[in-house]
Parts: sequence; C-alpha cells; structure tokens
Amino acid sequence: MTQPDGSPFAPHAAAETAAMLEAVGVESEADLFDIPDDVAFDGEFGIEPRSEQEIRGELRRLFARNNDLTEFMGRGHYSHYVPSIVDHLSDRAEFLTSYTQYQPEITQGFLQALFEYQSMLVELTGLPIANCSMYDGATALAEAALLADRVRQTSGHRILVPEYLRDGKRSVLENYVDGAGLVVESYPMDDGNVDREALAELTDEETAMIYAENPTVRGTIEEGLSEVGEIAADTEALFCLGSDLVALSLLEAPASVGADVVVGEADVLGLPTSYGMGLGIFATRESFLRQVPGRLVGVSEDSDDRRAYTLTLQTREQHIRKERATSNICTNQAWVALRAAMHIASLGPDGLVDLAEDCVRDAAALADRVDDLAGYQAPVHDRHHFREFVVRSDQPAEGIATALEAEGFAVHAVDDHLLQVCLTETNAHATDGLVAALQEAA
Amino acid sequence: MSFDVPDDLTYLESHEWTTTDDPTVRIGITDFAQDELGDVVFVELPAVGDEIEAGSAFGVVESIKAVSDLYAPISGEVTAVNEELFDQPELVNDDPFGDGWMLEVAPSDEAAFDGLLSPDEYRDQIA
Amino acid sequence: MIYDQARYTEGNKHEPLLSEKDDTTVAVDETDSPLPDELTRDELTLPGLSEPEIARHYTRLSQMNWSIDSGPYPLGSCTMKYNPKFTEDVAADPNAAIHPDRSASSAQGNLGVLYGLQEYLATIGGMDAVTLQPPAGAAGEFTGILVAKAYHDHHGNDRSEVIIPASAHGTNFATAAMAGYDVVELPSDEGGRVDLEALKAAVSEETAALMLTNPNTVGLFERDIVEIAETVHEAGGLLYYDGANLNALLGRGRPGDMGFDIMHYNVHKTFATPHGGGGPGAGPVGVVDELSEFLPSPRVRETDDGDYERFDPDHSIGKVHGFAGNWLVLIKAYAYIARLGDEGLADASAKAVLNANYLAEQLEMDVPYGPFHHEFAATAGDRDAADVAKRMLDFGVHPPTTKWPEMVPEAMLTEPTEIENCRTLDQLAEAFNNAYSDTDEAIETAPSRTTASRIDQVSAARNPRLSWQALDE
Repeated sequence: MTQPDGSPFAPHAAAETAAMLEAVGVESEADLFDIPDDVAFDGEFGIEPRSEQEIRGELRRLFARNNDLTEFMGRGHYSHYVPSIVDHLSDRAEFLTSYTQYQPEITQGFLQALFEYQSMLVELTGLPIANCSMYDGATALAEAALLADRVRQTSGHRILVPEYLRDGKRSVLENYVDGAGLVVESYPMDDGNVDREALAELTDEETAMIYAENPTVRGTIEEGLSEVGEIAADTEALFCLGSDLVALSLLEAPASVGADVVVGEADVLGLPTSYGMGLGIFATRESFLRQVPGRLVGVSEDSDDRRAYTLTLQTREQHIRKERATSNICTNQAWVALRAAMHIASLGPDGLVDLAEDCVRDAAALADRVDDLAGYQAPVHDRHHFREFVVRSDQPAEGIATALEAEGFAVHAVDDHLLQVCLTETNAHATDGLVAALQEAA
Repeated sequence: MSFDVPDDLTYLESHEWTTTDDPTVRIGITDFAQDELGDVVFVELPAVGDEIEAGSAFGVVESIKAVSDLYAPISGEVTAVNEELFDQPELVNDDPFGDGWMLEVAPSDEAAFDGLLSPDEYRDQIA
Repeated sequence: MIYDQARYTEGNKHEPLLSEKDDTTVAVDETDSPLPDELTRDELTLPGLSEPEIARHYTRLSQMNWSIDSGPYPLGSCTMKYNPKFTEDVAADPNAAIHPDRSASSAQGNLGVLYGLQEYLATIGGMDAVTLQPPAGAAGEFTGILVAKAYHDHHGNDRSEVIIPASAHGTNFATAAMAGYDVVELPSDEGGRVDLEALKAAVSEETAALMLTNPNTVGLFERDIVEIAETVHEAGGLLYYDGANLNALLGRGRPGDMGFDIMHYNVHKTFATPHGGGGPGAGPVGVVDELSEFLPSPRVRETDDGDYERFDPDHSIGKVHGFAGNWLVLIKAYAYIARLGDEGLADASAKAVLNANYLAEQLEMDVPYGPFHHEFAATAGDRDAADVAKRMLDFGVHPPTTKWPEMVPEAMLTEPTEIENCRTLDQLAEAFNNAYSDTDEAIETAPSRTTASRIDQVSAARNPRLSWQALDE
C-alpha cells in the first residue's frame, strides 16, 4: 500500500514509514532534509499527477497530432525494418534496467553482448578496435577529431570536412573541437563526391584530420577513397571515414582504403525512426587504443579459469583520469548497441548484403522513375547511390515539399531547387504514390 | 611493511629513483611506488633521443584503477628505453630496481643531482 | 538471502559467442551486385543464425545479467530506481516515430511533448529555459559549460578557469577540459563540504564557473550555498549545478532558488528512465533567463494559438547532438513526471532520503559524513571496500559504488533510492553486514554464486583482447 498522494513507485505503507522514522530517530521526513530555510522550496510545480491510463491516452492524442506521412527522408537518420525479435529480446528487463557493468561478475550477459557488438564493428570496418558506443554519428565524428588532435605529432589544427556535411553535424563538430583550438574547414565536392584534386590542394602540414563520408549525405557512393587516404597519409593527417552499418556491409571496407578512424550511424539497425536518436560508431587502429574515447569491453579469465568479459582500459576514462581523460563521456548508448547487434545477428551476413544491395538498386530505380517525370531531373549527381539521391526540380523545392505533405509524403528540400528522397524497405510500398504526387506538384 | 630502498641510488619525492655513478644514468620507480600503484598494466615512455627535464613529467604508469605521471629526476637526453616493459609491464612490480628500469639518460649538466633525496631521506619520507 | 545467478557453461567458457555458433562468409564480389567490384568489399563474415538460436542466445545472456528488476542496485550517485513499465509503451507509439527533419507543422505531437518536458523541467529546477538536446549527463555538462563560455565571450570576458570541488564526479573535470578550460580543484572542509575560504581564494576574474553537486557526492547539502553563489557571482563567474543528485531535492529545493545559473538533469537517474546497461540517458540543461539566448538550436515554444514551433535562440551555441537528442528517453521522462506530479515527486525524494538514513542506521560500518540525504558514504575501514562489494554479490544484492569519493577511505557510496521497502532494506543491510564481517579469505575470493567468479582485471588490461577476432590471435 502506498500513501494516497505519494509516488506510486515508493512502496512504503504509512506504518512502515513511521517505524523507519522512529528507527532513524526523527519525527518526520522533513526533519531529514538539511536545507536552509532561505533556499528551501515551499511552492508548487503545478504538475497534476495522472494515472497510467490517463497518460497513455494523453500522449496517444498528442502524438496523433503528428501528421501521418510516409517519409522518404534520410540525410543521417534512416528507417530500416526492425524485426520483432529485437524489441522482445532487448526489452527484457535484465538488459533494459541494468546499469553500466562496474561489477562484471554479475553482468556477464550484457558485457558479452557488447563484446559481440564491438566484434561486429571490427568485421564491418576492418579496423581492430571498436568501442561499445558513442551518442550518435555527429558526436563520434567530433570525438574522432579530438583523437586526431591527441595522436598527431605536429601542430596541425585544421579539420577538413565535405562542403555538404549536414549543418547539425558540423555544428556539433565545431562545438567539440573549439576547446582544443581546432578549426573546421570545408573542401569542395565534385558532382556529389570528394573533389580529390581540390582536397589535395587544401591539405597541408597543418591538417590534423580529413573527414569523408561513404555514402555521402547526398547518397552518392565515393569512388576514390584510397586516394583520399593517400592525401591524408602524405601529410600525416588522420583519415576519418563516416558510414553506417548497412553501407559498411557492402561498400569498400574502410581499412582497405586507409581509414584511421571510422565513425557514423550504427542506429540504422536496431532502432526504428526515432526523431534522430542515434548510436555512434567508433572504430580505429590498434596504435590509437589508449586514446579511444568511451567504454571498451575486453576478455579475461575468472578465478575458475573460464573466459569472462569486463570493461577494460578504464584509465582512459573520466572517472579515473578526470581532466586528462580521452573524453567526458560516461553514460553512452549501450542498449541501442545491444539492439543493433541483435539486428545484425538477425539479418546475418546474407541478409545484410542483400539489404545493402537493395539500397543501391532501389534508389537507382526510383531515381529513374522521377527522372522520367516532367519538371524533375534525378539523380542530380551522376554517381552510384545508396538509399537516397538528390532531385532537381523546376519549381521551388520548398513548395513541392509542402505540396507533397498535403498528399501524405515527406521529403527533404535541401536547396532552392533541390529535393532529396530516401528509399528503404519501410517506404518501398509507397513509391507509386510518391511518384504520382511528385508529378502532381511539378 | 617495509620497502626496499637501495643505498646506491638517489630518489625523488615523487618516488622515482636514479643511478648516479654512470655516464648515463638509469631511472625507474621505487618499490614503494609500485606497491602503491598495484599491478602495473601499462607504461608510456619517451623515445630514444627525446629530452627530459628535471621535475617535469616524462611518461605515465598505469594500474587498473590509477594513472601516475612519471617525473624526471634529472635533465638530459634519453639514450635507452626499456622496451621489455611494453610487453611485460609487470616487471615494474616484480623488480622495480632491476628489470623494471625505465630509461637511460645522459645528464645534461654536472649539477644534475642537486636537490634529490638520499636513501635515508627517502626512507624517512615513506616511513 | 542467498543468490545463485544463471550460469551456462561450455568447457572453459559460458554461453559461446555468436561467432562460435556460426561463422558464415558471403563473397560480396560474387553476388549479383548492382555496384562495380572496385566499389564493394570482397567478403563479409558474420554469424548467420536462425531466429530461435538468436532468441536463446540473448535470453541466456539476459539471465546472466543483474538489473533493477532483479533486486537492489544501490550504486551511489547512479540513482538506480525502478523504471515504470508503462513508459515503454508510451515511447513505442508508432505516431511518435518520425524523422527529425519533419516540418514543424507536421510534427506537432513531438514538439508538444518536447515543449511539455521543457516546462516540467524548468519548474522542477527553478530555471527559466531548458534544452533537451544533450544525450547524457556528461553531454549536458558540456552543453552547460559551452553556454557559460558563450555568455562570457558575448560580454567580452575571456575567462580561463573552471572551479570544481575535489569530490566532484570525474565528468566535471573532463568536461571543463574539453571545453578548453583549466581546472582549479577545490578542497573540502573538515565537514565534507565546500571550503568557503578556499573558494574565496580560488575565484578571480579568470573564473568562468564553479561546478557544484548539491547535495554533494557524500550526500551533504551545501549549507553555505547562498554565500557560495555570491562569491562566484561577485567574481563574475557562473554557478553550474550537476544534477546527478537531484533525486534528493524534488519539491524541497530548487537549484534556481539557490543561485545556480545553469544545471543539467539526469533523466535516467531522477526521472526513472532505464539505464539500458550504460545508456541511453538524457541530460537536458536548464538556465536562467539571461543565458537562454545561448542555448542549443533549436528550442521549442508554444505559439499564441496553441501550436508549437522550433526557434533558434539569438546567440545559440549551435548543436550538441546531430538531431534532437535521445528522443525515446525524453518521452519516458515526460510520462514519469506526469505520473508522479507534485506530490509524487516530493514523496520520491522524501522516501529516497528516508531509505538512505534508515539503511545507514542498520549498517555496522561507520558513515563519517552527515547529515546526508539520498546517499551516504560508509567506510569499510581497514577492509578493502572492493572486496566487501564482491562478497555482497553472493547475497542477492548489487553492491554500492566503491572507493569513491576519495575523501572517505574505502568508501562504499550507497544510494538505495525510494523504491525499496523496509524489508528489502533490511536484507540489503544484512548483505552489507555479512560481507563486512566475513573472513579475509571469503571476501578476497568472492563472489562464487555469480555467473563468473572473480575476474582478472589485470590480464584484461595488460593484454587487451577487444573482439572475437582478437581471440584467435
């Protein structure tokens, strides 16, 4: 029994509370608070408590105010079908309601799952070290730049990024590197991909890191990444490559094009569309192991000589190294990593490669259909595409996006006359409708 | 518990030791220091040819739960690094004054050892 | 209570790795690829298992994992409270699963929840404006310190230092350093609180901010908070509130009323969103009016006609997360706060503080600092706190945070939260006392009833093997 007006999640009966107060030796709960009167709060928040049922109704009604649109949106946040097994297994309370594994003997299950996640990233990136999560692709990129700053021997302070980098990602990067005195600069793109000549021109001894994405934020697949790796290597800059779990399953392995760090969106698997909530990939070379941000799960033995997992190399982290830690990150995205690993396991290598190949095939097919419409050219960039592509519209892009919304579709307007369309298995059923609506809006 | 403090070495308050009688001196950390740290899991040292400066940090020694800077007892150029420690950091625990040595350094001036502690002074410090 | 954790054992390991169950290689260059060979990887090797095999794998792993639904989890400073189940259902609403680039007019539901949570948190903390973007507590700290920096820059003050008490969370130090500040560490006074004289000596025109946890990391309320605030403000600095211990104060004290200018909230602590084995959390940041123009973009506001819109604060620092932060976590926090309301929130803190005090009363260990609130630091004295903790694992409880903060020797920082009843607290106390009074041999070799017995941390660090690929080397 709880007290009538108390927290429903504090189980104290009135008599129990009284007995406990007596055991402690105070008259009332208020006596336990050592807060001086001049700063004590005696007002009200004005938050009316509601029943579980009322809140579910309230939020159901509120969320129903989101227009029911079929989204053809991507640009860093993607929708892939998440199998039911991922929800059911990850929602097991033993996973969902556990804490960071500071007592490894009693948390072997989660540690093993994170170890398996790290291993999957090692396979996908070709790099030997992967941590067990960053918040999202943007913060992972920012952490990569800080790693570049720590490991670089010379005084470089320039971080070179694609001119098309998402504004949000760039802003996060700038915020993270400002304290270290690094400066973010753009290099130009050539028909959607890295303009390698221009990049080579821009890169100098002051360059600490070159960042490229594959696929790019406009959905194009890079064709000369090894050259980008060489440009970086020539000036001892780090080469950081951004990608995602599905793309990594098919495209050139980052290690084979000379990437020193791989970052990006692991949330493409395991998480449904969730208003931008993420899971950041962070993988790197063995030589940077001691400079990796975030948590790492390693293998050891227990006193019965059995294999056991544990968080390791924690001296890199804030709770031990304080202001000299590799990052301030503490709470991470462990449960999202668990879900991503479950999704990868569920697809298996065949399923992953099939899914990735569909991302190429279907984008090309839809681009062709849009290109056939009067008033549109697609894809704008003469490249291979992954999931998404840019469309040039004769009419202003904003107006078309608004008109499409009225027809039940959401796409990106990325410039005055540029739209961006993203296709996966979750919206493939609606391509006919989208094409018709585009035609209508032309 | 008593700690080994060899009489033929000179000490720093921050628990490093150095030899004094060679043209190049050896540097390491004391028995007391390795015991305080616990099992050493990682040692980071400068490269041969690097300059170290008396009183400044030249490297890092890590156990599971702690990280300590290593301070240079003297100034000079690093002439040798104990690379065994990279694969076997436990040598610092097992034999801090022997196989667990860290650097050999060519001192840059004669007065290099001024201000360091004698074995007795160091014994008093850790008593 | 005696506890035996599930343990699947196969030879010298427990549940085999996914990769040990299956290892399938797909030759990518031999598939009917829509891409030219030079743009694809050669092959991909991963486990290819059936759904029943996967279900069993993860079910077994879950059984080899402790959680708040398993039993007490009194980790000090972590606020492991029960995560109400209905919040999961609320967050799983398919209508909430939309893309972050949606137009505001087509995302009114999401913006409404964000706005509602901003308002709830502002009133709970006594702050004027709130951003929900930071995805964790440390990210909140970083956001708050960037806001402080932007404020000082805007006023032409180039300040270089952030003052942090020695007993603060490690994240505070790391955050200040990441933002480019020098850290000035502040000693505690004999009573365990901020040494006011030391603070007065430490502040200067270089002081950008003081970061403070209140109650502090041994549960003590900083009684001199008004004078602390005046000291920092007179020097032109800002006062930052680390929200890790907010669960002690709900309805009884608000950081804004104490003179704090910036604060973060750990919704995965105070507002009961699940910790998920390490995350995701969320670290919203509240500020006083004068700092609101520097908050991250975009924020959400209500229009005159009851709609919601995004807007960029005038001098926004920009973004601290690629999109809108950990959205699903924010929904759960909203639902929890709505469920409790004023009385429930105040009761949560009251019971959290009562539970901590009651538990401490039952322990044989000393608690050097008091009066404490929702958590206390007991000392294991001449015993090794980490060993005592390992022994506790055999008694069906999770041990507290050990050996921190350092101001308490062999500290066992304990935070039972409001969710435990008297009977469970008695069991928890028994586990503490049994472990504390057990033989040296028993505590040094514990645990024995968990899936793994004592794990060799040293060899894990000396020979890092961080992937299944590394096991073959």
